[in-house]
Amino acid sequence: MSSFGFGLITAAVLAIATVGFTMQFAVTNVLNLAYGSIMINSAFVAYYVNQHGVTAWVALLGGVATGAIASWLLNRFIYTPFQRRNLAPITVVIVSLGVDLVGTFGLQAIVGGGYVSFNQSQGHEYHILGMLLSGLQLVIFGICAVVLVGIHWLLKYTRLGKAMRATSANRNLARNSGVKTQFIISTTWIISGALCGLAGTVFAMNAGVFEATSAQLYIVLLLAAMFLGGPGEPYGAMFGAVTIGLATEVSAAYINPEYKDVVAFLVLIAMLTFRPFGIFGSEKTN
Amino acid sequence: MSVELSKKGLVLTATGLAAGYDGRAIVSGITVEATPGKVVSIVGPNGSGKSTLLKSLVGVVKVLDGSVKVGDTDITNMAPEDVAKIGVGYVPQIDDVFPPLSVKENLEIGGYLLKRHEVNERIEAVLEFFPKLKAMMTRKAGKLSGGERKMLAMGRVLMLSPSVLVLDEPTANLAPIVATQLLEEYIRGFANFGSTVLLVEQRAKAALRISDWTYVLGGGRVVLEGPPQDLAQNPIFVESFLGGGAKAHPPKD
Ligand SMILES: Nc1ncnc2c1ncn2[C@@H]1O[C@H](COP(=O)(O)OP(=O)(O)OP(=O)(O)O)[C@@H](O)[C@H]1O
Ligand SMILES: [Mg+2]
Repeated sequence: MSSFGFGLITAAVLAIATVGFTMQFAVTNVLNLAYGSIMINSAFVAYYVNQHGVTAWVALLGGVATGAIASWLLNRFIYTPFQRRNLAPITVVIVSLGVDLVGTFGLQAIVGGGYVSFNQSQGHEYHILGMLLSGLQLVIFGICAVVLVGIHWLLKYTRLGKAMRATSANRNLARNSGVKTQFIISTTWIISGALCGLAGTVFAMNAGVFEATSAQLYIVLLLAAMFLGGPGEPYGAMFGAVTIGLATEVSAAYINPEYKDVVAFLVLIAMLTFRPFGIFGSEKTN
Repeated sequence: MSVELSKKGLVLTATGLAAGYDGRAIVSGITVEATPGKVVSIVGPNGSGKSTLLKSLVGVVKVLDGSVKVGDTDITNMAPEDVAKIGVGYVPQIDDVFPPLSVKENLEIGGYLLKRHEVNERIEAVLEFFPKLKAMMTRKAGKLSGGERKMLAMGRVLMLSPSVLVLDEPTANLAPIVATQLLEEYIRGFANFGSTVLLVEQRAKAALRISDWTYVLGGGRVVLEGPPQDLAQNPIFVESFLGGGAKAHPPKD
């Protein structure tokens, strides 16, 4: 049953990450495969801030800021120039894959290959609904829940969120309605980047120990969760993340932890085969 | 019918316009003018460049040569969001709504440039105009019927009280009665109120009936233009657009 508890936290973290990832894809049209490397870079910034005597929960903000700034820069100076050249969309995907490798192994070159961990207490242990959860895990879960509610509120009730969804649905028509889509897209990079940085940092906290390549396969989970929920569907992303998060952790407990990413990968392949537009997505999303 | 949804118009002119995709002109040498209080229509066969022309007027397609003006403002290659701000409302032929957004949200995006407190007032006004939308405010635009969807597309563009309406086949897919109502009451109504209306219309007969001036596009150029009465007498026009022998009704006023 504790694998279920751990799976719940994994799922919550994955939900944050996937919502950011799918928002990027939906609003900006970039499938940013460098997402995982920005996650781990953000975690390392938070880790170094933490090393300098700042409480881990405050250092977390450094991770969030890193994700936001790095994603904005990445779009401004790499993705946008490529998109402007009117190349096939796959070009930007390949570029993002390159960025991912540079981001991950560049980080490794700087920080070395060793494992590190946050200077942070695990807190008390709690038995909740038959699950064993640490105080740390509960806080992470709480943060994720609050952030997801916040994103829901943003998308559903704010002018910015509606403009983001309109830009995603029909960019030209949004512009014809007076929406400055360039601004909306930049803002989306900042918000989704912040989610990426947050997810990376709490992912590292939850893992306990981590190193530069710890998030390298995370992209498989992100893709699986995104396709499960339907590409570009934030609510689908939450559902997909919970499903993938639980499926991988529970299967890890019963089969073999080594196969965690394989399970996610199988789900991804099954989705692409049978319902490429996701469980909630409509055929038109494709 | 109350038509205070649009504003008094501005003159829209395109002069020597060439426009197209990837630097290749689809339309060229186009000079058209739409004036307040008038319905100006563009007709022409499929692929003659009608939509491309409209898109180039509102900033969606690149103008390669010539200029576009609204009132005294040069809007040649102006960003679409700024064209909207100036008071030009554009309803595209396809992709004319935001499918995943609710009807209400579509209207809210239509009123994106309004002050926060004005949006709901404005939605009320638009709903007075299209009362059928009232019952579907929470439905997703993607789930509307073709006619309901066109109504929403018109409603969206009216949110900003445009002075110039640029409409690309607003009656496509509509039942004949609804199409006639949209053209003769609503669209003619905007012009009678003093707005400027530039309309692309597939049904030549219906277009002539409500227009004050009609341009005929062929192969990316204006091949014929004039008041509808004259076109209805023109044997070439009658032959190609009114299906021979058929006689266009003269405009009402
Ligand atoms: N996005 C595009 N890229 C390249 N060529 C295009 C694009 N859109 C349209 N065209 C081409 O431009 C030409 C004119 O198309 P346009 O849509 O302007 O015609 P239309 O008169 O509006 O036709 P219809 O009556 O079918 O709506 C066509 O040959 C079309 O293939
Ligand atoms: Mg057309």
